Amino acid sequence: MALKIDYVTRETLTNLRRNLLLSTASVLTVAVSLSMVGAVLFLRFGVDNATARWKNGVEFEIFLNTDPPATPEQKDRIQRELTTSPEVTPGGVKFINQAAQYKLFQQYFFDQPEYLSSVKDTDMPESFRVQPSVHDADVIQTLGDQFKKEPGVKQVSFAKDQVQRAFNTSRGLQIGMSIVALVLFLASSLLIFNTIRTAIFSRRREIEVMKLVGATNWFIRVPFMVEGLLQGLVGSVVTFAALFALRTPLTKWVVETFDQFRGFVVNPSEVVAIGLFMVIVGSLVGAVSAGVALTRFLDV
Amino acid sequence: MIKLENVTKVYKGDVVALRDASADIQKGEFVFLVGESGSGKSTFLRLLNREETPDEGRIWVAGRDWSQVSKWKVPYLRRNIGAIFQDFKLLPNKTVYENVAFAMEVTGRPRHVIDSQVPVILDLVGLASKVSNLPTELSGGEQQRVSIARAFVNRPLILLADEPTGNLDPNTSVGIMRLLDRINRTGTTVVMATHDKGIVDTMRRRVIELDRGKIVRDQSRGVYE
Repeated sequence: MALKIDYVTRETLTNLRRNLLLSTASVLTVAVSLSMVGAVLFLRFGVDNATARWKNGVEFEIFLNTDPPATPEQKDRIQRELTTSPEVTPGGVKFINQAAQYKLFQQYFFDQPEYLSSVKDTDMPESFRVQPSVHDADVIQTLGDQFKKEPGVKQVSFAKDQVQRAFNTSRGLQIGMSIVALVLFLASSLLIFNTIRTAIFSRRREIEVMKLVGATNWFIRVPFMVEGLLQGLVGSVVTFAALFALRTPLTKWVVETFDQFRGFVVNPSEVVAIGLFMVIVGSLVGAVSAGVALTRFLDV
Repeated sequence: MIKLENVTKVYKGDVVALRDASADIQKGEFVFLVGESGSGKSTFLRLLNREETPDEGRIWVAGRDWSQVSKWKVPYLRRNIGAIFQDFKLLPNKTVYENVAFAMEVTGRPRHVIDSQVPVILDLVGLASKVSNLPTELSGGEQQRVSIARAFVNRPLILLADEPTGNLDPNTSVGIMRLLDRINRTGTTVVMATHDKGIVDTMRRRVIELDRGKIVRDQSRGVYE
């Protein structure tokens, strides 16, 4: 049997209107819990971007002179020393040329076009990213320091200075917020569950008549499930909109408040990805809670 | 059309609603179920509609063995069965027209079919002038006519009536019975539980009497007692 769209729309809207207060409560809890999820993902993307250079065990990066640029001989020498060093993982040396460096630069400063336009790719330093084969911080420090004095080297920056603190802080924050998000998710599921149950109760006569005249279970169910889905959807869209509008001040706040999150940035495409994820999760939570409420209380 | 074979239904707390009941009802028959309150009349009807399932025995309705029908198919088979009640079970916030149309809507009929059928049925039950009224604006007899229209609009093979005149005065009841008789003459099998001696004695149709869950009398062209 075909479910008619106008029927489902009408029934769902009637339900939502009758339970306006409870529906609003559900929408708000979904929004709050999803904003926690959003914040976790936001932080994660931001920290990942800020520390992108330090992935895969890269512990330090040797930046070469730009003015005058390091000569090919100097570069070869450094590369040779790195690749033959027993303290460097085989294949653990990656050369970043000016073009690639400029690309990364563009990613970090995408929201500051004036700054970007004042810098050309030839202003970028070339660099070597190094994965040491040892984990001893002192050994890594000594290894990196050796290159500071090499000709053609501008500076050596170490992961542990920048990254460790950012990682530690963000991990703590992420775990904390994930727990809060989980609890709030449970709350929003229960609220949607309760809203649907109330809707079923207030319409039990109608449901009785529907069963009497031979309405299929899905015919009875779908409007309620759409109602739950809609509550989740509206909640998540609200959160998404808020996150999208606030992403720039939020980033600024993170960078200024937490010293350890220097370079923290989230691209618009990542915000959209977070938003889509929230919308999907929100809708699913709504529809599933409603579905569970239906099987419990409808006995269809 | 309807067949019960040694049907027993026991509710929680060992209340026996129906005990070893057997009956065979042909297509187009009009059957009264009589007996005191609690004798099992309502259970009899609820079993036919599969609102209840028997603890023992088998039931055939419209050629189908209810015990062999899977749960998801029940709604489709119920469309062959109309049901009316003492308390009408109309939806209070819907008009007369919407109440009847609702029965067609939930079975997925297209709009144009609904719009052509509902007025015909409302005319048949004599409510053509009250289509836009709400149930609360109608008398008891009129409300029962709406519920009959709703039960009959999908042209069921069987009509189950649970004390349809229980809340109505004698004159109104006569009107309702005329209507049910008319529906019966179209070939619809009618099974009606009632306490109304006058109606049963006037109509002289088949009577099945229940006493504490047992069928104690099954008489064609019977009377109330």
